[in-house]
Amino acid sequence: MELRSRIRELFQKGEIGSLIGYGRGTLPLSARPIFITEGGVDQLIFDITCGVNLAKYLLRKKPIAGQKVGIICKGCDGRAIIQYLTEGQLNREDVYIIGISCPGMIDPNRVREKVRGRVVTNYQMNGEEITLSGDGFQLTLPREDLLSRSCLRCRYPSPPIYDTFIGSPKDRVEIQDEYRSVAEIESLPAAERWNYFQSEFGRCIRCYACRNSCPFCYCDVCFVDQTNPQWFGKGVELTDTIIFHLVRALHTAGRCVDCGSCERACPMGIKLTLLSKRMEREVRERFDYIPGLSVEETPPMAAYREDDPQEFIQ
Amino acid sequence: MRKLLKKDLPRLIEWLKTSYLLYGPTEYGFAPIADHTPELITPIRPPKGIFFPQYQVLFRYDGKVPKSKGIGLFGVRPCDAKGLLILNRIFTQGPYRDNYWQDQYQSGIIIGIGCNQPQPTCFCHWFGIGPFGKEGCDLFLTDIGDGFLIEAVSKKGEDLISSFDPLLPPTDQDLKRRDEIVARAEAQLKDGIDPKLIKERLDNLWESPIWGELAERCLSCALCTYLCPTCHCFDIQDEEKARVRIWDSCLFPLFTQEASGHNPRPEIRDRLRQRIMHKFNYLYLQYKEAGCVGCGRCVIFCPVNLDLRELMRRILDEG
Amino acid sequence: MRDNPYWPIEMVVGRIKVESDDRMLRSFDLRFKDPSQRFDFLPGQFCQLSILGKGEAPFGIASSPDEKDFLRFTVNRVGVVTTALHYLKEGEVIGLRGPLGNHYPVEKFRGEDVVIIGGGFAFTTLRSLLLYLLARREEFGQITVIYGARRPGLLLYRDELFQWEGRSDLRLILTVDKEFPGWNRKVGFVPAVTKEVAPSSKKGWAVVCGPPIMIKYTLPVLSELGFPPERIYTSLERRMKCGIGKCGRCNIGPKYVCIDGPVFSLAELERLPEPY
Repeated sequence: MELRSRIRELFQKGEIGSLIGYGRGTLPLSARPIFITEGGVDQLIFDITCGVNLAKYLLRKKPIAGQKVGIICKGCDGRAIIQYLTEGQLNREDVYIIGISCPGMIDPNRVREKVRGRVVTNYQMNGEEITLSGDGFQLTLPREDLLSRSCLRCRYPSPPIYDTFIGSPKDRVEIQDEYRSVAEIESLPAAERWNYFQSEFGRCIRCYACRNSCPFCYCDVCFVDQTNPQWFGKGVELTDTIIFHLVRALHTAGRCVDCGSCERACPMGIKLTLLSKRMEREVRERFDYIPGLSVEETPPMAAYREDDPQEFIQ
Repeated sequence: MRKLLKKDLPRLIEWLKTSYLLYGPTEYGFAPIADHTPELITPIRPPKGIFFPQYQVLFRYDGKVPKSKGIGLFGVRPCDAKGLLILNRIFTQGPYRDNYWQDQYQSGIIIGIGCNQPQPTCFCHWFGIGPFGKEGCDLFLTDIGDGFLIEAVSKKGEDLISSFDPLLPPTDQDLKRRDEIVARAEAQLKDGIDPKLIKERLDNLWESPIWGELAERCLSCALCTYLCPTCHCFDIQDEEKARVRIWDSCLFPLFTQEASGHNPRPEIRDRLRQRIMHKFNYLYLQYKEAGCVGCGRCVIFCPVNLDLRELMRRILDEG
Repeated sequence: MRDNPYWPIEMVVGRIKVESDDRMLRSFDLRFKDPSQRFDFLPGQFCQLSILGKGEAPFGIASSPDEKDFLRFTVNRVGVVTTALHYLKEGEVIGLRGPLGNHYPVEKFRGEDVVIIGGGFAFTTLRSLLLYLLARREEFGQITVIYGARRPGLLLYRDELFQWEGRSDLRLILTVDKEFPGWNRKVGFVPAVTKEVAPSSKKGWAVVCGPPIMIKYTLPVLSELGFPPERIYTSLERRMKCGIGKCGRCNIGPKYVCIDGPVFSLAELERLPEPY
């Protein structure tokens, strides 16, 4: 496997001292983040199950003895790293970015929805179709039915910056209607829209798997956890859960790279990226900014410009 | 032992609803059964929140304490019924009893159902439960195809079911069918681990590198604790009009943070260790049973695949 | 309380006294609004005090079990609840749940010597203990008190302390960390002073309360003096919510500070992981 031989080479040349990558999980169709040195290279895998955004682990992993931390980067992991660099969270020289092209990642919630309790033991990809099979069943579905919604509208399967690349970088993909899900909700009458939000966010159990898997939720103390002052209730009243998700969307606006980690992590299958996507469009229209593409450009939420749109204070 | 034909299930449900506020499984959790007959699936959330709500008013400042209603839980899996039993022990034993839990649990009724088709993530048999474990149920149902065999497990269950007419005596064929189903399901749950051994190994693993290794990957969210049938840590908060209790999680960094700034469990490593020790060592020490029922929810849903079964095997190897 | 352990009884705020020169420590005497709810307790037990709408927090009882009409608590202003408590005025009503937790093993002390070692604002339940012992003075052997603070203005209950200094049946040593104008008593850290005072461990019991760092350095001194771990007691603090062993927060290993503690012997603590 090219992945393993290339990584072994990086260890041997001393380019990296440790690596954050993916290993096989214990469940069918699952992978897990792994943290290895040279001895662990044979555990490495990369396929459509490697959805977890690894960038966040860079905030915990520091170079040991001056040797860089290597990290396997899909487009969204790489973009999160760029965003970290603009936010001063990371030193570029501490990290060795190993780019890899992303085939799009499955969303375990969507798989569960389709297989309804049956156990998948294997899968096969044939172009635009994925065949899931298990004890006594086989299910062939279009890719769109199983992949993360974020991956289906992703323009950047490869990281914009890298130190080395496994395989060859894929070009930017042209996506026509990446804000379709947002537009669909926006087109609904207010009452229906509210019903929709109620049914989605009313399921939230405040476990914070979304927040804790989000590369950009790295605050020491999240606003929801603050007690002095306590901004709002910690229970599962709808108003409280909705405020949590709305404020999180605001705090990640202009930063979120739509990796979809939050949505895949949610045990209740809430379509969380609807809010972040809405904010992404806002930032793009107002500031002509797409997060995680350039280290040089200052993110709009961290910059002041004379010509910033500011009609809200006029 | 009696038999209920499947066509009579809606009648049983309607009849139970005359005595109880009846909850049944839905995809996401247990919910009041309205006009439909519930599909007997295993919900994402265990039923603990029905008796121990995630958000519960303890009392209003005007002095009012909310009263509990008799709740019936229909279609509870053996693991979840045992989970409720474990919670009952925790809330009612020791120097103080939690009246909110006790009132709710004692006034309720639990109608369990056996698992004809255990999942590969099920490990209830490690804890002596198994796909047809009846502990913690008042009535227990076994799906035998054309109907359910109904068994009264408690006196409360017996009293209830004895006055429900449309039940038939099971035929020998029915019983034979049930035995086959039970045997087939039980055969699927293999390679158990003895929780007593885990407890003993954990006695010596406070300083183990295991905790640090797991912590590398753990996101420190509360997904596993909130989906767990036995996790019960909570916070008490004063809101504008009432003192409330809200689920909390030992995996949250602020759980033990003191006003002075000191935190006895500052690192993910410390908190993960607390969760595992509490379930498999401290509770075992107290009740001779672990605080886990092997439902597999934490295994299935953990975003970073922290698999409790794998950890248990590791603990046995290490200790 | 018996039916609903989360239900607080009503207490009326009586005398309020600022205890420290930085005004961060205040004592409150609380009277039972309904005298029939009065309860007995022993030194070392604590209560949950609450201001409805602000929250609850645990405090050791600082008054003597013999002071039947009121309970005294000394509150260090650090968080939301303690700040709200500091704004209380005489006559206001607050909530109380208690008495909670275990107590110092005073029955074991009978006929033997007791050394009480305190540091900073952790002298609250030690005051309760000392008053209890003094009220039954003839039942106990030698009583030694070593109490230190960073500076004189941070010693709690100063007026009483200075009075007790004059007692012939009590050996009371007050110390501060550094020289201070007007301070003509001892200067030095509690562990060093303990070593110097060297209370006898023969038929002796030691009770130590204070900041973790003080406890950490005092325990070895007591061991050197010959106190076995079964005869050294301390009181632990942890963040608590329910106070009744349910909410899962205050445990140290398998022990809950709220119901198995807060008082533990060093022998018990040695069997627990990382108690400080």
